[in-house]
Amino acid sequence: MKQNIKKAKRHLTKLRELVSRRRPPLAEVNEEKVLDTLRKTREELWDKKFAART
Amino acid sequence: MLLVLDSNEFIFGFGVARKPSCEALLDAITEAPSYAIRIPRLIVEEVGRHLTPEEFREFIDFILSLTVIDEDFVVSFELGSKYEAKGLKPADAFIAAYVEWTGADALVTENRHFLRQCDNLPFRVLNAADCIKVMKASR
Repeated sequence: MKQNIKKAKRHLTKLRELVSRRRPPLAEVNEEKVLDTLRKTREELWDKKFAART
Repeated sequence: MLLVLDSNEFIFGFGVARKPSCEALLDAITEAPSYAIRIPRLIVEEVGRHLTPEEFREFIDFILSLTVIDEDFVVSFELGSKYEAKGLKPADAFIAAYVEWTGADALVTENRHFLRQCDNLPFRVLNAADCIKVMKASR
């Protein structure tokens, strides 16, 4: 796998521009709440994957 | 230096929530080819849950400029079970097993509780600020 860091930088810049145009719900809460939200997202996705396998 | 970035690094690094050290980490990764990342499908999906479809397309293009996306099934059940036996929840055990499977030098996460109770890990667990220090020291 060959990295293309210039291309990655372009996409990173564009992504940050897109995010800055809106007010994401996670931007309104503190770091612990963000981490807690992401923990819940992980558990939900994992449960969904596990349920799909059984 | 091979790194696995937890989903929170991308969320903070893209500005969905703000944390300058995470933004600096992504900047550092896109400024020097000496740092490589790996990412499993699960983390891609976690990040995607908090992006718009247009942002998600940029995220995928960003990732595919740096690495490939590993499907979750590449990690053996036995390796995941090893971390579950250490007390991790199944999804967290999978992430730990994935990091070991890749042979990465470190898992980077802002979750200071994640894996801190596990001894003798075959990789380091760093937050973005400490990872940047390690990266600077290795230059």
